[in-house]
Amino acid sequence: MSQGNRITVDARGIACPGPITELIKAYRNAKNGDVIEVWATDPGFEPDVKAWISRTGNQLVELRKEQDKIIAVIKVTAKR
Amino acid sequence: MGSVKKRVVIVGGGTGGLVLANRLPKDEFEVMVVDKQPYNYFLPWLLYIAFKGSRKPIKREITTLIKPWVNFIQSGARLINLNDRYVELENGKRLGYDYLVVATGATVDYSKIPGLSKVIDLYGNYHSNEENAWKVWRTINSIKEGTLAFILAYERYRCPPSPLEGVLLADEYLREMGVRDKVKVVYATSYPRPYPAEPMNEVVEPILKERGIEVTTFFTLDSIDADKGVAYSVEGEELKFNAAIVIPPHIGVNIKYNPDNVLDPDGFVLADKDTNRIKGFDDAFVIGDASALPVAKTGVTAHLQATVVAKILTGGYARNTGRTHCPFDMGYGLGTFVISDGTHGTVKYPPNRVNHLFKMAFASSYWSMLKYPELWDPLMEAYFNATAPEKLKNIYG
Ligand SMILES: Cc1cc2nc3c(=O)[nH]c(=O)nc-3n(C[C@H](O)[C@H](O)[C@H](O)COP(=O)(O)OP(=O)(O)OC[C@H]3O[C@@H](n4cnc5c(N)ncnc54)[C@H](O)[C@@H]3O)c2cc1C
Repeated sequence: MSQGNRITVDARGIACPGPITELIKAYRNAKNGDVIEVWATDPGFEPDVKAWISRTGNQLVELRKEQDKIIAVIKVTAKR
Repeated sequence: MGSVKKRVVIVGGGTGGLVLANRLPKDEFEVMVVDKQPYNYFLPWLLYIAFKGSRKPIKREITTLIKPWVNFIQSGARLINLNDRYVELENGKRLGYDYLVVATGATVDYSKIPGLSKVIDLYGNYHSNEENAWKVWRTINSIKEGTLAFILAYERYRCPPSPLEGVLLADEYLREMGVRDKVKVVYATSYPRPYPAEPMNEVVEPILKERGIEVTTFFTLDSIDADKGVAYSVEGEELKFNAAIVIPPHIGVNIKYNPDNVLDPDGFVLADKDTNRIKGFDDAFVIGDASALPVAKTGVTAHLQATVVAKILTGGYARNTGRTHCPFDMGYGLGTFVISDGTHGTVKYPPNRVNHLFKMAFASSYWSMLKYPELWDPLMEAYFNATAPEKLKNIYG
């Protein structure tokens, strides 16, 4: 089986239109099996990622807070 | 000073390009603006062609908007060679430079969404040109019943509030025409909520509810079928419509770069977020919509970045603050602004009549602001200070 790519998206410092934009952008170009890691500082990012995951059915591997950023690791599984 | 003037080539005579050109002191710089067309377009007015049928002219000749000492060549650039420091024009002529500023804006690409070209042909859009904006005007004048869908196709587009501005202005117009009870207005977006930034959404969402506008979230447009009247999402949903106004995907303009690794997959130019220097180059900058920076694609951003680059070129210290200030027309003479910066999130700024008036005042002053930045700067600075996010947050939260 082929190994998916790992895509890192730095969305720190973005508040408008919001870090979720960067996730959706990466998602559009991703394939099933890819892993997307997003870094953000906007506190709104956390609920957004959760809502996005529950709606799209992709897999949230990790969501953690570090001192200077929120990190979300998502495995792409729900692309048609 | 007696020293040799520095040669600055600015590719693109839009908002960012002209503000910069008119700012550079004539005794230090020889400035050349290159644009593929003779006009500067005031793109925000496409909204008022599309939803109000406005006949106000939206273009001016670039030669009337530049200082007498700024040079202008009307030609498309086809290659930008950053390694050898030249811009190649369509006729093969090469312009060497000491400093380069790319200000070529964004363009729309219908081919990214199967079926989109046909939908645009039928119903128009208000993010490309006058012809398509007039088509939107015809669309909202001819729909008498069924569903009018507004669909945000891609995450990157000009002016973050513009999709919802269109929705709200269409609602107002359909009510005026007396057909709103028979026309359902739907807005589909890939975001979790109608306006992507939460605090602003708290202002917008109740207004959409009050005006009876339906919203479909997490709808990432995959393809669209004009004949069947159905839009399909990546998430597997279907949206039926009688007419659809799509905010089309935006990409960078068609210019080759050497090296080509300064472009992202959509053709936007990679840049340093503080200084707008093109990735890996000290003598080349990209401002405005052409950059890949994850900031709002607005004229205000282009203007502020041009100001930073002008300061850097004249030997001063300047950095982007990430300030946004996007006007948001909410219909019925109400307006607000989407205000944020690199350290403060978006302000929850409720609409009022004065803000709408401000938007209209900016619109009428637009070309004067491009030509005489030195006259407008003090006013703009005072205005931006008065509306700084940390100040407004104290009032509105
Ligand atoms: C409906 C709508 C509403 C908007 N509302 C607002 C608003 O209220 N406030 C706001 O601040 N912004 C608004 N905007 C956004 C604003 O219009 C843009 O962000 C702004 O024009 C960007 O300026 P720019 O200098 O980066 O690019 P542009 O103004 O697009 O200029 C780019 C220039 O480069 C030239 N060019 C392109 N390719 C080449 C080439 N190969 N060779 C030479 N020249 C080339 C083009 O001809 C053009 O003149 C709105 C936009 C739309 C569509």
